[in-house]
Amino acid sequence: MIACILVPGFELRAALRERPRLSLAPAALAPLPGTEQLLGPVTAAAEAAGVRPGMRLGEALATCPTLLLVEQDPAAAEEAWEQIVRRLEENGFAVEPVELGCLYLETRGVERLYGGLQPALERALAAVGSAWDPRAGAAGRRFAALAAASVARPGQILVVSDEHAPQFLAPLPLSLLPLDEERREELAELGVRRVGELAGLPGAAVAERLGPDGRRAWSLARGEERSRVHARRPPADIVERLEFPEPVGNELTLRRALGALLDRMLARPERGGREIRKLALAARLVGGGSWRRTVTLREPNADQLRIRAALAPKLAELPAPAVWLAVEPVELAESTGRQLELVKPDGMELEARLREGLRQVRASAGAGGVCTVVEVAPWSRLPEQRALLVPREG
Amino acid sequence: MRAAGAGQPVSAARRGAARALNEPRAALVEAEFDGTPRAVDREAVALLREEWRVVDRWWTEAPVSRRYFDVVLESGRNVVVFRDDEAGGWFSQRA
Repeated sequence: MIACILVPGFELRAALRERPRLSLAPAALAPLPGTEQLLGPVTAAAEAAGVRPGMRLGEALATCPTLLLVEQDPAAAEEAWEQIVRRLEENGFAVEPVELGCLYLETRGVERLYGGLQPALERALAAVGSAWDPRAGAAGRRFAALAAASVARPGQILVVSDEHAPQFLAPLPLSLLPLDEERREELAELGVRRVGELAGLPGAAVAERLGPDGRRAWSLARGEERSRVHARRPPADIVERLEFPEPVGNELTLRRALGALLDRMLARPERGGREIRKLALAARLVGGGSWRRTVTLREPNADQLRIRAALAPKLAELPAPAVWLAVEPVELAESTGRQLELVKPDGMELEARLREGLRQVRASAGAGGVCTVVEVAPWSRLPEQRALLVPREG
Repeated sequence: MRAAGAGQPVSAARRGAARALNEPRAALVEAEFDGTPRAVDREAVALLREEWRVVDRWWTEAPVSRRYFDVVLESGRNVVVFRDDEAGGWFSQRA
């Protein structure tokens, strides 16, 4: 069986963790500065007042003048989600996170462990935590599991068998399917508003009218998709963070700090020689907000200069000075062989000797014996705040 | 001032040990009646090269008020010391 666990409005819930009282008030997740001014998830009180997720900000405020806008906290949301996924993995579940608030589980391996499907899913919901109001759906197919979870109430587990899946899916709205708003409106004009109505149409006609996306949605509606759960490999605990004595907005300073962080991260033994495929760059902003960007490298590598070249341009997107900066490898490639050079380029021998010398210094002087100077506020009137000595492990 | 693992980590972070470069160090200074140094660490001051004030962060709960002196000692050594008006006491530092 494939199980799906949903936490609707996850980002809003994560942002409200520190202010739980706001979850009872009309509140909505504010759009990020510089993006289209559309609301994110909303609280139940906001929905009762007529506010909907995806509504334009102006329209939402006109509909509900007392609407509270909650600033996004992407770093906190990612952290909370990662903790949930890890708790599930610690309980023996093979987890495929899809996006914040949605994940799939393969139950086959744990049903025997917990004495059946229902106890296993109860264990999974407990691992997520009732504070998040998770709901679970289980079925033989991913889409049916997702649909079941969408329909379930908080804390409820809804299991749909294969023979009942078509009847279960038929009355559900098209919004469950991965279709653009445009396509849904187009279908609505043709009188197709339910999953069952779409499933009853000829596949060729759907493909011709709606394209490959429509064809895929049609397959899902008919329960024909066969994809399994692709469990992730739990990432290694490698996060490097640098706190600044004063908030830093200067891009050059941030780039230098990034270089020092990358050196430390690449030197971590937990990496096990594996190259990095995907990285996250995060910052806590002055004023309390957070910022996070994820970068997928064109090819996995462990070259500091290349990784820095990929990450450094993101620093220009910081909306405010940073109190701390962190890098985290989100995805590591498996170790592979490496094609070596027959003739080493000039300077390699000197570099190798220098590296060996530093290694010996580190061995005799201990951790912190070799450091890098990182200028963080060279303009500061207080000399001790101009630069940091950052231990260099690699 | 420190390099540290994330306090709210996505995954647990290693606590680093970055430290500030050029931290002030306590110094033994004998001063004249006008506050200028007469001796630093039991070594007499031969020349007062420069003097300046740093008053900063007065709007915070950790204001800074220092009176810096760039002096040359009898041995020829060049030292920068300051009197911290907030914390009290003398410190040496490379300015």
